[in-house]
Amino acid sequence: MTAVAAANPLAEGLHDYRVGEPCLMVIFGATGDLSGRKLLPALYNLSKQRLLPAGFAVMGAAIDDLTDDAFRKHASDKIKEFSRTQPVDQRVLDAFLAGCFYVKVDFGKLDDFKSLQRRLDEMDTTRHVSGNRMFYCATPPPTYETIVEQLKAAGMATGAGFHRIVVEKPFGSDLKSARELTAILQRVFHEDSVYRIDHYLGKETVQNIMAFRFANSIFEPVWNTNLIDSVQITVAEEIGVELRGSYYDKAGALRDIVQNHALQLLALVAMEPPLAFEANAVRDEKVKVLRAIKPITDEEVTRATVRGQYTKGWVLGEHVAGYRDEKNVASGSLTETFAVLRLTIDNWRWANVPFYIRAGKRMPKRVTEIRIQFKRPPHMTFGTDATRELAPNAITLRIQPEEGISLRFGAKVPSAGLQIRSVTMDFQYMTAFLVETPEAYERLLLDCMIGDPTLFTRADEVEAAWKLIDPIEAAWRDDRPQLAMYAAGTWGPPAADKLIQQDRREWHRP
Amino acid sequence: MAQAVSTTIALEPNLEWSGEGVSMNEVVATLSKIRKKFALAEAKETELPHPRNCIMTLLAVASTDAEERRAQRAVRAIGNHHPAQVIVVRDQPELRSGRIDATITTDTLRPQSASATQCELITLRVRGVAGDHLSGLIDPLLMSGVPNYLWWVGTPPFGKRELEDVLKICDALLVDSARFDAPYRSFLDLTSLVSHSHQRLGVGDLQWARLEPWRESIAQFFAPMDRRPFMKGISEIGVDYSGEGRGNRVAAALLIGWLASALGWKLEKAAGGTGGIVVAHFAAEGWRPVQVVFRSMPKAHLAQGEIGAIRIGGAAGGRTFNLSVLRDPERSHVVRPEVGAGGYRALHNAGGEDEAGLEIAQRKVEWHRDVLQENAAQLHHTATGDLPGDGRPQKPAIVVRERRRQDNSRVLLTMIEIGEAAPLRHVQHVEPEDEATLLLELLSHGTQDRVFGRSITAAAELMTSI
Repeated sequence: MTAVAAANPLAEGLHDYRVGEPCLMVIFGATGDLSGRKLLPALYNLSKQRLLPAGFAVMGAAIDDLTDDAFRKHASDKIKEFSRTQPVDQRVLDAFLAGCFYVKVDFGKLDDFKSLQRRLDEMDTTRHVSGNRMFYCATPPPTYETIVEQLKAAGMATGAGFHRIVVEKPFGSDLKSARELTAILQRVFHEDSVYRIDHYLGKETVQNIMAFRFANSIFEPVWNTNLIDSVQITVAEEIGVELRGSYYDKAGALRDIVQNHALQLLALVAMEPPLAFEANAVRDEKVKVLRAIKPITDEEVTRATVRGQYTKGWVLGEHVAGYRDEKNVASGSLTETFAVLRLTIDNWRWANVPFYIRAGKRMPKRVTEIRIQFKRPPHMTFGTDATRELAPNAITLRIQPEEGISLRFGAKVPSAGLQIRSVTMDFQYMTAFLVETPEAYERLLLDCMIGDPTLFTRADEVEAAWKLIDPIEAAWRDDRPQLAMYAAGTWGPPAADKLIQQDRREWHRP
Repeated sequence: MAQAVSTTIALEPNLEWSGEGVSMNEVVATLSKIRKKFALAEAKETELPHPRNCIMTLLAVASTDAEERRAQRAVRAIGNHHPAQVIVVRDQPELRSGRIDATITTDTLRPQSASATQCELITLRVRGVAGDHLSGLIDPLLMSGVPNYLWWVGTPPFGKRELEDVLKICDALLVDSARFDAPYRSFLDLTSLVSHSHQRLGVGDLQWARLEPWRESIAQFFAPMDRRPFMKGISEIGVDYSGEGRGNRVAAALLIGWLASALGWKLEKAAGGTGGIVVAHFAAEGWRPVQVVFRSMPKAHLAQGEIGAIRIGGAAGGRTFNLSVLRDPERSHVVRPEVGAGGYRALHNAGGEDEAGLEIAQRKVEWHRDVLQENAAQLHHTATGDLPGDGRPQKPAIVVRERRRQDNSRVLLTMIEIGEAAPLRHVQHVEPEDEATLLLELLSHGTQDRVFGRSITAAAELMTSI
């Protein structure tokens, strides 16, 4: 994974040393929300950790007419507001801002790209970056094609050094559009230089799923249909659509969360051990398992899926509006804000193990977790009376918040009699490793600079996911199953409970 | 360097128990009661008490009041953010009355949505000969299944049974070689311990942790693929350190030991010169010579022994390169060569526009002036019969400053010059290095550090050869 660092003998033993070659990072849409909330604060924090190489510079590119200094002021304000480390260290910030520049770019104007190119070329020698470029599209997906074509026309995607492009999800809105997007990107950039960000993969706890499974000898032998009863993946948000109403009303929970975040989590839980923690080895195994998921047919869609939409209710003690009353949402919208899928994987390891995916907005709290539910022992040695309060073993991988892992098992209640109850062993990330957990974007930006695509989504992964989602989306457009309403602040509509109860199971309450 | 968690804690912990002339059985029993009381108090009506979570035992041994205070401050800061058992032992063998006084204080940590944890700080004041048997005192307190780290706050009694016994029950020894009383001798003792201790024992040095930003900066320079050949083109290195004498050269030697061991250089010879200059000659692959010059450079803002700058120069593939990493360049006064005659400016080329370059020029000027004065004194002796040097200024008094300070946050300025291209400046900031942060840095990555082992060995070889 740290191929560059490993080859440098001076990097040995520097535990957090992961520094790429110096490069110029161009952020298209540098004055936008993603740049201000995530990218610039992440870069500042990388700078604070001394992980940006000498010579690295940020070139903001957007339609706004700003000077370098005005962009620095904008960046400074955003970093102070959104940095995960507070208060912001002014000395670090000043040093970082000194490497920030800005060029006004109208994506439709080739001349603007040529101006950008001239500016980057000038910086090449003064900053010793050897032509290395990282283009970050922090812009809406419809702009990707224009940006990529202009980069090609301006001759900015070739030459000395590396030329990488980063695009944000959604990677298309269905299989067809995803393939079109891939074709657009690959017309100009080699697939190895395309970095599709699903920020969930940059979370430490998501990466830890692989460490938990493949760095320990005790879990993998039980990680199969012989001992696992079912798997529940919950991606719950307490927030509504906020400022994303117009986008979300077209996308819905299925495309916004399930197609990417939830299926990525499923792939990491269910994949076979890769040969190495190396980009293609990991992604090959993820693709294999995504392809092994049995598609939900048109006949099954009413029994294996639930779509819901929140109405007004109470969340975290506050009264909130229903989805149809949100800003930029159609008054009669049928877009789902809640989705449940019951998936099965057609392979030897996971035969007959259902994977329940539940994702929704305006849930009681923000939580993402994976619950591995084990089967009961084949024989109850202690009898039913003693084990009445004993639940089956379970492993919970908490992705956010309070990142960690817990294991539930039975223990005897101290008393003269014999009562077995469930207890939980808890591992909390925040306390165990003596260091703070970095933001997902910090990790992913660094990986992109280094040239490590392990935690980025490959084109065939994206397509495999859309192949599963498209038939469901088609049925949902026909109102099958019917949209079920749920009050904001609850765990979804009764139909979600009914779906899992028909399998004689219950949702785990996170 | 990964950022350690915040170490802000409440001003005072809760005093749970205190006893004079107690037995260890009393301490263990009291500790058990305190834990049970907390677990029951935290359990809600319908819940069983949450299992106790503990990731390590951190044991600090202090010999003075000041060390005890530092130890308590640091281990509390760590224990309050990470569920650990922390013990401070104040070793007072000089007191005749052999007895143990103990206190147990607690801090409670309540994360927003996770279970509360309690950190107990056990302080044992051990008087008399009981301190010679620390392992027997501590063993009953250790928790099974978690690592035990021993932080010897001052200078450990290297070679003494007291230390050897306690190391048998610990997974790692943590020290700060920058705080050793006799830094040269103790550093060699530490090297010997690293070389000869049992395999399971890890050794961590806070001084080594302080060098990490320097190592990172140097490693970063050579990271780009087109600069990798420069590693085989290094011909000269200059290291400036604060303070005088070999004891203050430990950090510099450790940094050079790291470079030499990583790049496979063999030490050929080393010799001390005038004006605090020491020159070491290494042979790189193919007997290519590498010269390392150590310079004692007094800096008001540096503690004794701290590194002020490192410069690495050479050529490869038809390109020359110079890497300079300077500490806190803006905090020191601007040094200008004290030259009277304009001719000296040409004679003593600074070799660069950075402050270090100017200081080199100043040192050359001073050396030149000293030679002139010596020659003048010799002439004076020949002419008058007075002893040589009588007419020269007295050697300036050496102001001894403390070897370490609590907060030494700093700036590292990296200057890169490659070929004819304009120099590139890169400013990095290093977090304040309080002891808790440095301990966390060492503990978070484990103390079995092969690179430290080989670097300290190379550094000791270098120091003993001078």
